[in-house]
Amino acid sequence: MKKALRWKVLLVLAAFGLAVFLAVPPKKKIKLGLDLKGGIHLVLQVVTEDAINVETDLEIARFQELFKKNNLTFQTAIKDRPGRFTIQGVNPDQEGKTRDLVDQYAQAWDYAFVGDKVTFSMTQPTVLALKDQAVNQTLETIRNRIDQFGVAEPIIQRQGEDRILVELPGVEDPDRVKNLIKVTAILEWKLVKAGPAPDEASLLQPYGGVVPEDMEVVKGDPKRGQAGFSLVDKVATITGKDLRSVRRSVDEWNNPAVSFTLNTDGGRRFEKVTAENIGKPLAIILDGKIQSAPTINSRIPAETGGIIQGRFTVEEAEDLVVILKAGALPAGIKYLEERTVGPALGSDSVRQGLLAGLVAILSVMSFMVIYYRFSGLNAIVALIFNIILLFGALGYFRATLTLPGIAGIILGIGMAVDANVLIFERIKEEQALGKGVLSSISLGFSRAFSAIFDSNLTTIISAIFLFQFGTGPIKGYAITLIISLVANLFTAVFVSHLIFDVAVKKTAKRLSI
Amino acid sequence: MQLFKTPHIQFLRYKYVALAVTGIIVLAGVLNVTMGKGLKLGVDFGEGTLIRVKFKDPVSVTQVRDLLKSVGLGSSVIQETGKQGREFQIRSIETVQAGAAALGIEAHEQLGDSVIKALKGSDGQAETARGLPDLNTIEEKSLSVLLDSFSPGKGEELARKVISYRNENGIIRDFSELQNAAVGQDVISFLKDRTYLGKLTILSRETVGPQVGKDLRRKATQATIWALIGMLVYIAVRFKLAYGVSAIFTLTQDVLITTSIYTFTNREINLPIIAGILTIVGFSINDTIVIFDRVRELSRTMKKESLEEIMNAALNQTLGRTVITSGTVFLTVLALFLFGGEVINDFAFIMLIGTIEGVYSTVYLSCPVVLFWHNMFKTKKGFRK
Repeated sequence: MKKALRWKVLLVLAAFGLAVFLAVPPKKKIKLGLDLKGGIHLVLQVVTEDAINVETDLEIARFQELFKKNNLTFQTAIKDRPGRFTIQGVNPDQEGKTRDLVDQYAQAWDYAFVGDKVTFSMTQPTVLALKDQAVNQTLETIRNRIDQFGVAEPIIQRQGEDRILVELPGVEDPDRVKNLIKVTAILEWKLVKAGPAPDEASLLQPYGGVVPEDMEVVKGDPKRGQAGFSLVDKVATITGKDLRSVRRSVDEWNNPAVSFTLNTDGGRRFEKVTAENIGKPLAIILDGKIQSAPTINSRIPAETGGIIQGRFTVEEAEDLVVILKAGALPAGIKYLEERTVGPALGSDSVRQGLLAGLVAILSVMSFMVIYYRFSGLNAIVALIFNIILLFGALGYFRATLTLPGIAGIILGIGMAVDANVLIFERIKEEQALGKGVLSSISLGFSRAFSAIFDSNLTTIISAIFLFQFGTGPIKGYAITLIISLVANLFTAVFVSHLIFDVAVKKTAKRLSI
Repeated sequence: MQLFKTPHIQFLRYKYVALAVTGIIVLAGVLNVTMGKGLKLGVDFGEGTLIRVKFKDPVSVTQVRDLLKSVGLGSSVIQETGKQGREFQIRSIETVQAGAAALGIEAHEQLGDSVIKALKGSDGQAETARGLPDLNTIEEKSLSVLLDSFSPGKGEELARKVISYRNENGIIRDFSELQNAAVGQDVISFLKDRTYLGKLTILSRETVGPQVGKDLRRKATQATIWALIGMLVYIAVRFKLAYGVSAIFTLTQDVLITTSIYTFTNREINLPIIAGILTIVGFSINDTIVIFDRVRELSRTMKKESLEEIMNAALNQTLGRTVITSGTVFLTVLALFLFGGEVINDFAFIMLIGTIEGVYSTVYLSCPVVLFWHNMFKTKKGFRK
C-alpha cells in the first residue's frame, strides 16, 4: 500500500472510531424529542405587568410613609395603572419641601407637579429591569419546583422577552404538572375573625356591611372541603417565607397532610399569636383560598412547627410540599402552547419509525447492489459510515432527535445516495468513451465533484439560515441536515474513492459497476 | 446494469407546455384554496386543540361525532387514524372560532376537556364512585402504591410491568391480556377487583394559543426568505445570476405544485408538512444544480451549439441519474408512508408527491428561465471561472 493511501485509511478508521465512541450506547447518547418519546411541551408567558403592579403598590405605601414622616400633608394616593400613581391634594405651602423630598427619593420614577397633584410614572429602564427580573425569578422558581418534583432532564429555557419554554420528557400526568407550575403559591396563616358564612352579606352583617380596615374577606377552597366566606386579619401571622422545612406526613387520622417547621423569627411570632388566641381558628390560606382553619388548642412553641390539613390526596400533599419548598412566583403566568404526547404514542412512533427506517435503508441498499454490483457495495459502506458519523455528531452536540429531524436525515441520506449515483454514472460515461478502469474512476470522481459540492453547499447554506431563524422543530430539521451533508462530502467523495483505490487493482480490465 | 442508454429527447421543445401544465396545477390549487376546500391549517399554525384518543373497543366516526354532538361539538374534525377503528384524531378549532375567539388558550383547553368528557360519557362513573381507579389512565406511582398493598415490596416492579405493557399497547382491553405482561394470575384478579378498565385513553393532546400560531408563521416566513436569499447568492456566485433566479423559480414551482396537489387531500398543514416541503426544496435545488453543473461543463466543449442544445444534452446525459436518485428517494418515503406510523404519515405523503413531481420539475422546469433570461438580456453563454 502506498504511504499516502495508508494515511487516508488510518484517517477514515480514526473518524469511524471517534463517531462510534460518541454515539454508543445510542440509547444514552441520542436524546429523543418529545414527539417521539412522550412528555410535555409548554410555552408560558410571564405576566410581567404583575411585577410592575406589585412594585407600584410598594412605592405608593413607601411615599405615603415618607410624606407622613416629613409632616407633609396630602389627601390621597391613587394608582392610575401599574407603573403610574398620583398623590393628590398636596398642600401648596409645602410645595418646595415636597419637591425636595420627591427629588431625593424618586430615582426610579419620573414625576410631574401639576397644581396640587404629583404624578409618578416608572422610568422605562426600571420597567424593563423589573420585567426582566420577574421573568428570571419565575424561571428559577419553576425550575426549583420541577427539580423538587423530580423530572429527568427537564428543559426550562427563557424564550424572548417574557416567555418560558418548559419541556418535560416522560411525564405521565400533564394536569398535575401544569398545576404545579401555575400556582402562585403564596401561603399565609391568618386569624379568623368571623365566618365561615354562606355569602359576603351575612358575613359582614355584624360589621354594618363594611369590611373593617384591618380585615379582609377570603373564600374557602371547595377542593379542600372549605366552603363559604370568612373574615380574616389583613396582616398574616406567618407566611410561606417563614417556613424552614416542609415535608409530607399524615395527620392524626392518617390522612395525607403537610407538616412544617418555622424559622426563629416566624416561630416566635407563631408562638405569641397562638398563646394569645387559644380557642380561635387560624386559617391557612393558599393563593387567597382557605385550605383549612384549625382551632388553636394551646400555645404552640416556636420550635414545634405544625401541620397543614385539607383532605389532600397523597399526590396533592406531595405537590404542596414541592411548591412550598420552591417558593412563590413573583408574577402570574399564562399558557400559550401546550403539547402532551402520551408514552403509548411516543413508543409507537419510535417503533414504527425504526421499522420504516430499516425497510427504507434496506430497500435502497438492495437497489444499489443490484444496480451497481460491487460499486453498489462501496456506496453502501459509504452510506453506513455517513449514518454513523451523523449519530456520532448528534451524540457530541447532545442534539435531540425529533420527527422533523428524521426528515432532515432522509434528505441527507437521499443526497448521499445521489452523490454516489452521480459519481457512478459518470464513471460509466467515461468508460463508454473508452477510458481505462482506473482513469474512469478518477475522472468520474473529479468530474462529479463540482455538482456534489455545489448542491450540498447550497443546501447547507439554506439549512444554516433555517437553523438561525427557525423555531424548535425547524431547527431540529436543519441541524440533522447540516451534519449529514457535511458528513456526505467526506463519505461519498473521500471514503468511496478510497475504497476504490484500495479494492481495484491497477491491472483491472473491468469494473463491476 | 444500465436502465437505458443516453437518450436524445428535445426536452426544451416542450418548455411552454411544461409551464402551462405547472400553471394549470397551481391555478387549480389556488382555486381550491380560495373557493373550494380551503387551506387546512393544522393546530401548529392555526390555533385550537388536537386530541388523539384510543378506544378500548372499535367505534365508528359517526358514533364519535354523535358523542360530541351531545355537547355541541359536532362540527369538530374527526379523523380515524388507526386501522382497527379504535384510534381517532379530533380537532376542535371551528367551534372556538364561532363561539369565543377572543378567549385564547383557556377556551381551547376547556373545549378539549369537554371533548374528552363527552367521549367518556358515563363510563367509569359508577366505578369512580366506589373509589376504583382507571387502570388505563392511572399513574405508575399510584399503581405501585396500590399493588404494594397486595404484595408488599413488589408493588413497584409489578406496576412497572403493567404500565410498560399498557404503553406498548396504548390501552388495556381486557384484564386477561395482562398475562402477556408477565404478571401472575393472582395479581390480575387483584387488579380486577380493585381497578376498572376505562373505555379510552388520551394518546396526545396539543393546544396552541393564537399568539404562538402567529409567531410560528412569522418566523417560518423569515427563515424561508433568508434561506432563499442565501441560495440565490451562492448560485449566482458559482454559476450566474440567471441560474440563481432560475433555481429559485424552480423550487418555488416545486413547492406550489406539491402544495396544490396536497390541498386536494383531506390532510392538514402542520409542522411535519413544513419539514416535508423543506425537504422537497432540498431535493429540488440538488437536482437543479446537478443539471446546471452539466450545462456549465458542456458549455466549455460545445462552443458552437446554442444554449438550448447544450441544455438538452445536459438533461439527457443526466437523465439516468435523475431517475435513479428519485427512485431511491421514492423507495425511502414509500417505506415511511407504509410503515412509518400515524405521526409521520402526512410527511411521507407530501414527500411521495414531491418526489414524483421532482422528476418532472428537474427535466422540464429547471432550464427554461435561464433560456428566457439569456434570450431577453442577450447574455453570453460562458460561466464564471
